[in-house]
Amino acid sequence: MSTPDDPRDANPKDPEELRFHYTPSDEPKPEQDTDNAHATDTTRVPEVIDALRKEFGAAVLDVERYANEDTVYVEKSRIREICRFLKAEESFEYFVDLGGIDNFTAEDRYEVFYNLVSIERQKRIRLKVRVDEEDMRVPSVTEVYRAANWNEREAYDMFGFEFVDHPDPRRMYMPEDFDYHPLRKEFPQLGVPGSLPLPPQTPDGELTMDPFAAAHGSQPVKSYQEPATDPDSE
Amino acid sequence: MAGSSGTNGQGFFTTRVDTFLNWARSNSLMPMPMGLACCAIEMMGFAGPKYDAARFGSEAMRFSPRQADLMIVAGWCSYKMSHAIRRVWDQMGDPKWCIAMGACASTGGMHRCYGVVQGVDNFLPVDVYISGCPPRPESVLHALMDIQEKIRNEYSVVQDYEVGAAGERAPIMPENTSKFPGQLEKPKASGLTLEAPDTGADGAEDSSSPAPVAA
Amino acid sequence: MAQPQKPDFPGHDLGDQFRFWPKHNEKIYERLETKHAWLEEKRAAAQGDGKPAGAHAPEADPLENEMILNIGPQHPATHGVLRCVVKMDGETIEKSVLDIGYLHRGIEKLAEHKTYQEFMPYTDRMDYLSPYSNNVAWCLAVEKLADIEVPERAQWIRMIMSELARISSHCLWLGVGMMDAGAVSGFVWTFQEREEIYSIMDEVAGARFTVSHSRIGGVANDFSPRAIEMIRDFVDKFPSRVEGWEGLLNKNRIWVERNKGVGRVTREEALELGLTGPNLRGSGVPYDVRRFEPYLKYDEVDFTIPVREEGDCLARYFLRLDEMKQSVRIINQCLDRMTEGPIRSDDAKEAYPSKEEVYYSMEGMIHDFMYTDVGTVPPKGAHSYHAIESPKGELGFYLTSDGTGRPWRVRINAPSFSNLQAMEDMLEGEMVADTVVIIGSLDPVMGEADK
Repeated sequence: MSTPDDPRDANPKDPEELRFHYTPSDEPKPEQDTDNAHATDTTRVPEVIDALRKEFGAAVLDVERYANEDTVYVEKSRIREICRFLKAEESFEYFVDLGGIDNFTAEDRYEVFYNLVSIERQKRIRLKVRVDEEDMRVPSVTEVYRAANWNEREAYDMFGFEFVDHPDPRRMYMPEDFDYHPLRKEFPQLGVPGSLPLPPQTPDGELTMDPFAAAHGSQPVKSYQEPATDPDSE
Repeated sequence: MAGSSGTNGQGFFTTRVDTFLNWARSNSLMPMPMGLACCAIEMMGFAGPKYDAARFGSEAMRFSPRQADLMIVAGWCSYKMSHAIRRVWDQMGDPKWCIAMGACASTGGMHRCYGVVQGVDNFLPVDVYISGCPPRPESVLHALMDIQEKIRNEYSVVQDYEVGAAGERAPIMPENTSKFPGQLEKPKASGLTLEAPDTGADGAEDSSSPAPVAA
Repeated sequence: MAQPQKPDFPGHDLGDQFRFWPKHNEKIYERLETKHAWLEEKRAAAQGDGKPAGAHAPEADPLENEMILNIGPQHPATHGVLRCVVKMDGETIEKSVLDIGYLHRGIEKLAEHKTYQEFMPYTDRMDYLSPYSNNVAWCLAVEKLADIEVPERAQWIRMIMSELARISSHCLWLGVGMMDAGAVSGFVWTFQEREEIYSIMDEVAGARFTVSHSRIGGVANDFSPRAIEMIRDFVDKFPSRVEGWEGLLNKNRIWVERNKGVGRVTREEALELGLTGPNLRGSGVPYDVRRFEPYLKYDEVDFTIPVREEGDCLARYFLRLDEMKQSVRIINQCLDRMTEGPIRSDDAKEAYPSKEEVYYSMEGMIHDFMYTDVGTVPPKGAHSYHAIESPKGELGFYLTSDGTGRPWRVRINAPSFSNLQAMEDMLEGEMVADTVVIIGSLDPVMGEADK
């Protein structure tokens, strides 16, 4: 795989890339914006971050804050321990959400975030791990939070993370016969022609392919490894 | 009843078998609600108290394909679901009709994305399309009336469901649909054009010109 | 066509024909075999071994044979296109595997190609039983990301409409739930109330069902006097309707016996399985986003959050009825306390100008054009999560911005997804006839779960 670049600079002629672009606002991110009308106290967890730092030291990489929300970047290999610690010691017993983000950068391309809630303390915390394209393995947290099961399957389906020790590594939404991971940035919005068959037109006929995506020139762009296809198919 | 000649005051009436069957079929459609997404909720409204599909004889929703003859595909159809829909359609007994309800079922609508089939007519023979996202129940009633109109103009006995050349050439929609329902012309059985005769080299020579067919 | 190799799994007997996602099915059946059922785990914890308590030889009675049953994706009781593959011992479900994704259309992918305002109609189609709640959730999430303040009147309007959406969603749940338990006429009665809410939506937003009425920075248009009158009429009369349903069902022997003790989840299990919304509160966890982190004006109105301890289907039924009554209470307070004022932010970078401005002034037109074209532009690298309490539970949007008018990544935390995940384990150990009631009482919406 070639190094992915900023998608906007990649190939301006490419029809897939012709999004209308605006001047990005260059205002620096406000450091402490408690004036955000929608910010709440529930997302500020300084004492939890202190406890994490004390317990795990260098594994807590970074702390970010936007709109009064704390995001803790932690080391990928220790995410399971950190979750166990948060659940046992800091009473974050309710698992809310997990998902992936494709940043489309050369290194640390992906991120996985974990959204945890402590009902007792009325706090929310968001953990993030950075995942490199070369090594898509992420330790699964299902043994700590049982509810993470389907969310991890979904992240695997959409981004292709490999959750180590996941009890049920199947796709969540797409059928297993599908070869791609659609939420990656290089996956075309209209899909890859021929990747999903349509039913036959007669009760005992052959499968058909959707003519739509191909007619609109939808092709996988750049840096995307074609899955091994059978030359006889289609 | 359309096409009948009155009871003549003697307790019977005469009509054509086609007309009679079509009359019966069109007023007792049993919809198979293929409720996929938001349109399914409006389809419930269509069957519900305010709009009341029972006025058209279609209140008996049948969830078993064997008991239904009108499939209403309501909602966007993903590739994964399309195979299930086709299998349900194949299990429905003939004669059967299909309504694509809403923009998503008709064309893919606003969901122009990798997971959605851009219109169920890619794999289903759709009779009536309904626009709207989602359509109001009135539109569904209108579509139902369109289907009824279509049924009244079908050949149900004379030529339809035959095997062979005549069956293949049976028009799905007769030419004179604008005429009064039931007043169909007799199908021209004698003037039927059959398969092009196997004339060997002559036929293969020039495929652009219409091949002469036996009368 | 390539010859697909013949998979050897049950149900496949038609040679090399494509039979409904062969690879996919194979994996489902594989999972069904290898799954450690929750039931087994619980029993093992209780007894010290994994053997079911009263296990007897299955071959003794042909009715107690093991059997794999496929429910869905097209089944009237699955509330959409849910597919349950269950392994049964006699009539008891031993293991169950749910398969969702039959409505997957990639809404998160679509969002990356839309401006923030453009994406809002898609949220209508997520939880299509209560579109207004989703609109509000999306708008609040974007407003938090871009730091947009909403005028007070707009907040009251949003609150009233989201509570109406909650009532309408619960009405449908009750009607369909009754139908699942055998009372078909109940569906007609609750649908009558829904039609009234539809008429209100029609009057307020111009659309019966998929309203798209909320806007980033406010709402599209103000209530007309007639709309307020209609809402007042509705909330005056609705409590008596709820009482009518209570009179019908609360002591109804069929209803109680079908629901009591079915699908029981304890407090700890509910947290572990990640249930959300009324299902979580039905198990005794007082988690409601309206209280947990109040949005809009929920910290200024007086209402209680019903919580029940039993954790079975009957508890969830009582709880939802109580919620409807609380919604009426909230709407009454909102109508009384609603102030006059603007309904949208007047900053051209934050919200659409009013139609008068667009039609009669040059700036207004330019602003309208620019807002349609560029829209709201949050700062680069900003990311925030905002959740609301939708009728189904916590509905949150986690947005990441790249400094353009389109979101870089939209993550939707859908409550039905969490509830369905819990259902996979809740079904185990229940009778197969009770699956219908359990699905009904958890109230999943596939459009939301499948994204």
